[in-house]
Amino acid sequence: MMIVFGLLLVVLALFGAPLFAIIGASAMWSYYREDIDLSALAIEFFSIAEMPVLLAIPLFTFAGYLLSESQAPSRLVRLTRALLGWMPGGLAIVSLAACAFFTAFTGASGVTIIAIGAILFPALAEAGYDRKFNLGLVTSAGSLGLLFAPSLPLILYGIVAQVPIDDLFVAGVLPGMLMLVMLAGYCLWVNRGQREETVKFSWSRVGAAIKESAWELPLPIVVLGGIYSGYFAVSEAAAVTALYALIVEVFILKEIPLPRLPGIMRESMLLVGGILVILGVSLASTNVMIDAGVPQQLLAWISGFVDGQVSFLLLLLLFLLLLGAILDIFSALVLVVPLILPVALQYGIEPVHLGMIFLAAMQLGYLTPPVGLNLFIASYRFERPITEVYSATFPFLVILMLSVIVITFWPQLSLVFVS
Amino acid sequence: MLKRLAKLGGFAEDAALVLLLTAMIVLASGQIIMRNVFGDGFIWADEALRLMVLWLALAGAVAASRADKHISINVMSRFLPPKGRLFARVLTNLFTAVVCAFVAYHAWQFVSLSKEFEDELLGGLPAWWFQIVIPVAFALMSWRYACFVIVDTVGFFRPARNVAAES
Repeated sequence: MMIVFGLLLVVLALFGAPLFAIIGASAMWSYYREDIDLSALAIEFFSIAEMPVLLAIPLFTFAGYLLSESQAPSRLVRLTRALLGWMPGGLAIVSLAACAFFTAFTGASGVTIIAIGAILFPALAEAGYDRKFNLGLVTSAGSLGLLFAPSLPLILYGIVAQVPIDDLFVAGVLPGMLMLVMLAGYCLWVNRGQREETVKFSWSRVGAAIKESAWELPLPIVVLGGIYSGYFAVSEAAAVTALYALIVEVFILKEIPLPRLPGIMRESMLLVGGILVILGVSLASTNVMIDAGVPQQLLAWISGFVDGQVSFLLLLLLFLLLLGAILDIFSALVLVVPLILPVALQYGIEPVHLGMIFLAAMQLGYLTPPVGLNLFIASYRFERPITEVYSATFPFLVILMLSVIVITFWPQLSLVFVS
Repeated sequence: MLKRLAKLGGFAEDAALVLLLTAMIVLASGQIIMRNVFGDGFIWADEALRLMVLWLALAGAVAASRADKHISINVMSRFLPPKGRLFARVLTNLFTAVVCAFVAYHAWQFVSLSKEFEDELLGGLPAWWFQIVIPVAFALMSWRYACFVIVDTVGFFRPARNVAAES
């Protein structure tokens, strides 16, 4: 009976039933089996109102949607170009840096491809890069920056795993840089034969770009400075970001007319509602699984054929790559982290390091068929067949996979700055 | 009449989202200013903000069900013919409507218990005033998905070319 019900849920999920309904049904089914009153689901759901950090999610998401609807993306590209465009292969590196920065600030909803990728794609073609290379670059860069503060998945991991979010923000810096550097190296190597016309570095260009971005530049400085110095809590930084972006883009630069604001608010809150309703039902389903001793059973089962940390990490990595291919990052975080965290602790893995492994592996999920979000967005936005996007993205996927392996087996990379 | 009601409902949803988010931004930023200028914020503000997150989450979820934008996996239905796709939609939406109805019913039980025990929030206000959004939101989502089921079932029995034209 249990197996039949479980299979039925999987089939319904694969045919497009919303995940929150699937998870909610499985939670209620478990309650029923454990003889717990089903209203416990609502009690768990209500605990959304007992997590102060969650406030950061709607505020950062809104700020990200607002920024991507303004002219901020093109200013960011111009500024990055003025700073890095003099290097050989400059524009490819500019693309990676601008995408990473933008993704960190806007969560990981695929909005980077639309906001930044759409500017870079034609610019790269103009600079003489191969079209297939461009497509792969822009698609895979669309989720780069996930490990940099203040990205939403980092915050959500902190909430679910009950790890200080400031620690995660510090921990993500080097693994995130590693991904950037490895991709940049690949871009340089692929285009080694090609001479892009590099623009000479000029202070006046940098000055002009800085002047143009004068209103937005304080934002990362205030937010990141405030968080890293411990002056702001994460949710306060989110409030400052939302208010500042609102004032600058709507009232000072006037790039978003006031009548469009409700629409942007609504769009961004659809995503927030989608994520948080899954979090709410997952709280119920994971709690009942933890009460039923699922992590212990998982540990007992795994220890049957895994004896050391290294082999555990290998198994974990394989599992996460599979998971990333079928689940989006937010659902995977809230559903799976509570179950594997106790197991990972038994193998001596730091919760912060686990977070880096988890998010880095899930980042690949954006690029793996069949459900990789970036693949679909890129295919839709650049009007290329999905199969072409698959093959264009593949080399980048391999490079990112290598970086994930390094992040997994080199804990110090994540932990060196964490006290 | 029904159309006007639907329009009104949609407007109320959007208004709730915009008002809640605006209030949240103002209150959260105000709290930082208060803390720095006066050394202390409102005592009730943090709790109010947390409740607003819950409300906003549920309002967003209801709006997402209207736009059919909930997070889902959906890898299989693109391999189906149009009729099959419609059939899969009817089944998954029916399932979602039933699950939401169950959640709404049991959440209502939770709220009535909380009412009976006179639980309090925000320094003395009845907790059920704030908790009632859970059954209400899930009931609205259930209704929404039930409507999808009806519309798609009607579409399913219409001649095939109409179905193809719609999907």
